[in-house]
Amino acid sequence: MFLVVILVAVLNSGSSSSPPTINTIATIAYSETTSDSTWDKLKGALLNALVFVVVVTAVTFLLVLLFYFRCTHFLKLYMGFSSFIVLLFLGGEIALFLIRKFSVPIDCFTFLVLLFNFAAVGVFAVFLSKMAIIVTQGYLVAIGMLVAYWFTLLPEWTTWVLLVALALYDLAAVLLPVGPLRLLVELAISRDEDIPALVYEARPVINHDQGSGEYEGQRRAWRRRRELGNDSESDHNIGTSDAEVTAPLIQNRVSSVVDGQESSVASTDNSFLEGIGLGSSGAIKLGLGDFIFYSVLVGRAAMYDFMTVYACYLAIIAGLGVTLMLLALYQQALPALPVSIAFGVLFYFLTRLLLEEFVVQCSLNLVMF
Amino acid sequence: MKKKVDFSHLSSSPSPESAIITVAAGIGYALLALGPSLALFVTVISKKPFLILTVLSSTLLWLVSLIVLSGFWRPFLPLNSAASWPFAVLIITSVAFQEGLRLLFWKVYKRLEDMLDAFADRVLKPRLYPTDKMLIALAGGLGHGAAHAVFFCLSVLTPAFGPATFFTDQCPKLPFFLVSSIIALAFATIHTFSMVIAFNGYSDGNKVDQLFVPVVHLVAGMVNYFCLSS
Repeated sequence: MFLVVILVAVLNSGSSSSPPTINTIATIAYSETTSDSTWDKLKGALLNALVFVVVVTAVTFLLVLLFYFRCTHFLKLYMGFSSFIVLLFLGGEIALFLIRKFSVPIDCFTFLVLLFNFAAVGVFAVFLSKMAIIVTQGYLVAIGMLVAYWFTLLPEWTTWVLLVALALYDLAAVLLPVGPLRLLVELAISRDEDIPALVYEARPVINHDQGSGEYEGQRRAWRRRRELGNDSESDHNIGTSDAEVTAPLIQNRVSSVVDGQESSVASTDNSFLEGIGLGSSGAIKLGLGDFIFYSVLVGRAAMYDFMTVYACYLAIIAGLGVTLMLLALYQQALPALPVSIAFGVLFYFLTRLLLEEFVVQCSLNLVMF
Repeated sequence: MKKKVDFSHLSSSPSPESAIITVAAGIGYALLALGPSLALFVTVISKKPFLILTVLSSTLLWLVSLIVLSGFWRPFLPLNSAASWPFAVLIITSVAFQEGLRLLFWKVYKRLEDMLDAFADRVLKPRLYPTDKMLIALAGGLGHGAAHAVFFCLSVLTPAFGPATFFTDQCPKLPFFLVSSIIALAFATIHTFSMVIAFNGYSDGNKVDQLFVPVVHLVAGMVNYFCLSS
């Protein structure tokens, strides 16, 4: 969530200073969306989105194949390499924007050294989880932010249609029996392996009353439940430009955050959550791809006005809540994207068309209710 | 494409402040509108996750009600600001709708409370205390109030970060944003506590309490309207 807010701030500083760099986007899709009539824009956007989805599907199948042949090491190397590229080039580009905007006095060599170190540490943080978790989280946030910013440079119609298309694709890929993500999940479960993925792990709030022993016990219970194939995972694959195909696979495991309170509401709440099947302690793991697309949505909303940002933010959080509830209900692999993106897009358009006029009229005349 | 808010009917003047100070001014306005809500949030609500969920869902509900209202009023906008009586109708319908929504919120809350109580009985934990019920009502109201402040005040606050400020027509010394934030603060408080009063009123069957809330809401709205038309 924090990531989304930062991204919005970055975006505003970026979009107000430079025109969108369309030349880097032309490599993704084979049709251009020009600034002519609506119908042309729609067709162009649909074509773009279609191409993108096809590319993503192909890459996902490739990944499934690699996973099947147990090339896990290769996958890990590849993901490390791609995060390095993302941090280095995209980070560099955005840093350049910021430097130009704020007139930061820095010279070329210092900048290069700093950037290189940043990228290197980032790769290590993401893959060797021995670092302090806040560093890992910070780097995951940075990677997500960079990729999302880059996505928002796409022309407007393309972005929206792309988001919708990806949500639909996610739905199909996870729920259809022939979908690649579902195959991946089943392979992972049957082999009881961890899918190499860029996963964002929320920090669990450790209950201070219980000793660490019980915490360990609860984690073991969680792992055992996972072996029974009972937990829900959803995977998502993204491809970016043809040069760099980052593949953050996403796992959306079901757990709830332990709260360490003694008051009656909290305890009712905790056992209430257990009662509806969400399980005990652990961390909420949300995949990076989901974050990226939420950020793209909010970033796009930010390019219009702040009101749409707030509305979309709320919509995404609501969508996440609904997804988590569905996850608890179905105990199955569920895609995390569709519900949130559906809400987000819906709220964006509603806000833009309806709410804006209304609220602006009212608040400018200081008529509030 | 950035949407431009039309401030043309206000008088503007550049104030001799540097950019840093006006960023502070912008943040100041935002905090003015949201300060007490934030304080309430941090001290009371952030400790219990269930209350955070309540806040988020009530914010969402308020937003949805606002969207429905704006959808209803869209064909009649933009209103001619010279003729001020349409605003009165606007306020009355909006307040009526939101009060109806509050009743709906109460019904949902009753069902939730029954569920929670039944669950607590099953797990042999104590039922919801009255304090807890009031806390949930407070969280709900806070969600509404925060949503109001955000959508009515913070959305138009973006120009306040620039190097100038707008002044109101009637009081040429008061910056527009200041007035907006103060009104937002007042309304946030109203929303927050009226939820508590309303829930208490509904649960005790106290007619005075029940009627108090919509009346206050209506009066506040109408007072705003009278300020406009004078």
